[in-house]
Amino acid sequence: MTEIKKQITRFKKKFNFNSKKEVIDFLVRTFFLLSTILSASFIVIIIIFIAQKGVIPFVTDNDGIGRVNLWKFLTGLDWLKGTAFKSNLYGVGFIIINTLYISFFALLISMPIGVLTALFIAKIAPKKIAEFLRTVVELLAAVPSIVYGLFGSGLILTLVYNLAKIFGVQSKGGNSVLAVILVLALMILPTITALSEVAIRSVNKDIEHGSLALGATRTQTNFKVVLSSAKSGIFSAAILGLGRALGEATAVSLVAGNARSGPSLAFFEITSTLTSTMLQGLKETIGIDYDIRFSVGLVLMVVILFSNLTLNFIKKKVGNVDVK
Amino acid sequence: MKKLFLVILSITFVFGLSACGDTTEEEWDTSSSISVYTRDTTSGTRAGFMGGIGFDEAKEDDGVLVDGFVIKDNTGIFSTMQTDEFGIGYISMATLTDDVKGLAFNGVEPTIANTMANEYELKRPFNYVTRALDDYASDTEKNITLAFVAFMKTLDGSDIITNQGAIPLESTQTWDEIKADYPVCEQDNSGVTIKFGGSDSIEKIAKALTESFAPKCGNFVPEHDHTGSSDGFKRTQGEEKDGDNYKHIGFASRPFKDSEAGAEGTQGQLANDAIVAIVHKSNPLNGVTAEELVKIYSGEITTWDELLD
Amino acid sequence: MSNKRKRIDLIYQGITYAAASVAVIVLSMIFIYVFTNGSGLLNFGLITTDYHAKFYNSGIQEVDQFSTAPRPDNLGEDTYYSEKWGIALADSEDREGKLVITVEYVSEDSPLKNLMYDKNSEDEKPIQLEEGDILGTIKFNDKGSALSIYGAKNMLDELDEEDTFREMVFYTKGGGIRGSIITTLYLIGLTMLLALPIGVFTAIYLNEFAPINRFTNILRSMIEVLTGVPSIIFGLMGLAVFVPLTVKYTPADSGNIISGAMTLAVILLPVIIRSTEESLKVVPDAFRQASLALGANETQTTFKVVLPSAIPGILTATLLAIGRVIGESAALIFAIGTAIKDDISIFGKSTSLAVHIWSLMTDEPANIELASTIAVIILIIVLALNLLVKLVSKKFTKKFD
Repeated sequence: MTEIKKQITRFKKKFNFNSKKEVIDFLVRTFFLLSTILSASFIVIIIIFIAQKGVIPFVTDNDGIGRVNLWKFLTGLDWLKGTAFKSNLYGVGFIIINTLYISFFALLISMPIGVLTALFIAKIAPKKIAEFLRTVVELLAAVPSIVYGLFGSGLILTLVYNLAKIFGVQSKGGNSVLAVILVLALMILPTITALSEVAIRSVNKDIEHGSLALGATRTQTNFKVVLSSAKSGIFSAAILGLGRALGEATAVSLVAGNARSGPSLAFFEITSTLTSTMLQGLKETIGIDYDIRFSVGLVLMVVILFSNLTLNFIKKKVGNVDVK
Repeated sequence: MKKLFLVILSITFVFGLSACGDTTEEEWDTSSSISVYTRDTTSGTRAGFMGGIGFDEAKEDDGVLVDGFVIKDNTGIFSTMQTDEFGIGYISMATLTDDVKGLAFNGVEPTIANTMANEYELKRPFNYVTRALDDYASDTEKNITLAFVAFMKTLDGSDIITNQGAIPLESTQTWDEIKADYPVCEQDNSGVTIKFGGSDSIEKIAKALTESFAPKCGNFVPEHDHTGSSDGFKRTQGEEKDGDNYKHIGFASRPFKDSEAGAEGTQGQLANDAIVAIVHKSNPLNGVTAEELVKIYSGEITTWDELLD
Repeated sequence: MSNKRKRIDLIYQGITYAAASVAVIVLSMIFIYVFTNGSGLLNFGLITTDYHAKFYNSGIQEVDQFSTAPRPDNLGEDTYYSEKWGIALADSEDREGKLVITVEYVSEDSPLKNLMYDKNSEDEKPIQLEEGDILGTIKFNDKGSALSIYGAKNMLDELDEEDTFREMVFYTKGGGIRGSIITTLYLIGLTMLLALPIGVFTAIYLNEFAPINRFTNILRSMIEVLTGVPSIIFGLMGLAVFVPLTVKYTPADSGNIISGAMTLAVILLPVIIRSTEESLKVVPDAFRQASLALGANETQTTFKVVLPSAIPGILTATLLAIGRVIGESAALIFAIGTAIKDDISIFGKSTSLAVHIWSLMTDEPANIELASTIAVIILIIVLALNLLVKLVSKKFTKKFD
């Protein structure tokens, strides 16, 4: 608001010199400012409205079913005890753990592949191949998540089911922690690759030249100097990738198996995530079972916020090297 | 360098493809445990299945089911049963193809003919609910609604329902025989809109019925807005009955809940939808009984050899 | 350099080659999978037909001259032919995999071509059975109806016994995606209408006018945070904010295309703002100074000098945004709903192509083949858009160098 006040005083000051052009300038400028404020306000709108709906199960008696206990909700190891629509014993504790666990492993798979691909594209590959791979990565990023879901439920489930058999485990048709991890790893791979490539390419050439001048080979320089100089940018890639993994919904819900209790830590066990839980039975649900989905959404936002803060903290600890 | 790249590329590619190829056929291991698949608690198919096998507690409560059960959608259960050799699930008969094995229920094969002959017993009701009789904006709207309900129950109505993959209730009269009882259909109703809503599983049937019936009843305008079973009652006699979304007739693809008991004579059944328990094609099992299914879903039976003896 | 060193370097390099090939393999596997499953149904008819079949109830006038046309030679072996009625029927599957009876051939002198009338129309206008139609039921005056579930042969046998019938129910082949395509186009149009001006104005403000102070920084980071919000959360917002808003001020009575477009617009804002800003940044300051020096005011400079230079960036942003609208599913499931429709109104529910897939994957009856076919279409569009983006940016990048 202070900005608007400043604008007005400036306007008043300027008004003495007065010209029609300046009035127009002022109006246009204010209009642009209003657009910007509108764009910026959506994050506030999102938080306020979802919070407003998300707290309903905890502060009202939900049409006679009774208040949901917040502590039990956050620590619960069963999604719902008792009969649906008649019980207030919801819990997401195990789902939070599942979500974090799965996203961590997805990141663990995607990070090395993504970063090495980025290094390949930025430093090693011949120009034509690099250009081709860049297009491939862009296309992968543009494949809609529902298509990943279709692919996952068709191919990855079969793959995981057969893999489990090789290990002597009888999995539930492939619906498992591992299937979700694989689908998510594929989905965040392009994000990580693209951002890491930008980070690698913006490493100061002087550092590289220094390394080469000291007698290191091209490869040594790429792996030891370039990668560690691009650390900070690569971390940003990880943060974005993790955000996408935590929040991905449609594809995950088609391969998770939707476990109703947990946490699920074994790779061939069925699981559930915050997002898959929100989507489950959405079409037909009513009352508390519907409102609670907003609460789960709220939990999801908090989880994303906290994991971002944690990674940002680590990023600062790891430190920054001279980047152009 | 380029060559190396191509070599690695093709090797990994071949590996990647072969890894997802067919598995080798082995002996079907009867000692394997049963993987249990179900729909979620909001599903009408689940309510119909659990009710049909006599496991009413499990309609809306996941807690009574066997540990480690998997929740999937209709399509998910159907496609997983083509992968999981040791799974069991259930789907609507309309979805059944020979990609999976449909189990006989209490000794009766799951075919449309058997269901129409009332021999196949595992099914869920398709229900309707209309507004309370004294709650219509005009007598014309009320009379058209009542005429439509009557039409659903005629031979003409049941033909339409059959063609949509559901199983109609028994009927004996054609519309032509009873239309004299509904004089409202003789007049021009082209200015009257009748609103249909509720279950979207029944949307196709409802549309087929109205498309056929509107011309027979003064060309009233049917308006369909199917949003889910729970809205069926809510928008005809429940909390939203006077809101913008009010409906004349609502449908539910499950039995009405206690809280959805409507005024006398406003609710009824229009059809059944057969539900089939399905297993992988390689499964030697051919049929199950209701008791066996209850035991499978409650966890009393956990391995296949207990069923195959 | 020692040989050992060389070998180690080679191994390291090999690892990057392997990593890079993963991306290629994944992309090709997605394409191969989707194409092998979905190409069977891919044809032009799919795009132009309705999802829900159109029903006809026809009656027939008295027939005094039955057909005399012989069985055409080009009919398949499983096709049954009635010379009396001049029609050929076959058992087949519709796009949902359901068994149906299709009309394979209708002869020129068939009573079903010349003597039928539409019972649904007021003036009983003539109607014809056409090849490709699906025959549902034939109702007779004095015996039970012939139903499609008993197969084509049974239906023809029943029909041959009679000289007339009370009613014939037939319908067009459904399962098309015309409605979802229209919805997707509406969504693209409306979303762009909402998001483009706001996004471009915001970018211009941030890049051209905003003073460097705390307030600007806060605005900037608030917009940036939007990028990290998952689409399912946007969906919840659409449900909680835009659906009630549109229900109140438009004829809509539940989730609708407008509420969906508003939700998508919010999702796209950061994409459009960022991309526009990037292209504004590369407009050389000399342009602005020259314009101002020539006596143009700020507004003129912005609209006549800066904005035209940023158009390639805005174009790129638009193309990327269109791709995102086509692919978005989670947000729309909440903000519009999942009911597949044919008569599209921006005040009503319907599905975009991506949500159409979702509906097919979760509804009854299961239809993975059609889902894959739609995925093929989406992939082709997204692919084309991305290549277009490349083309656009290639064409304009060198402009200021």
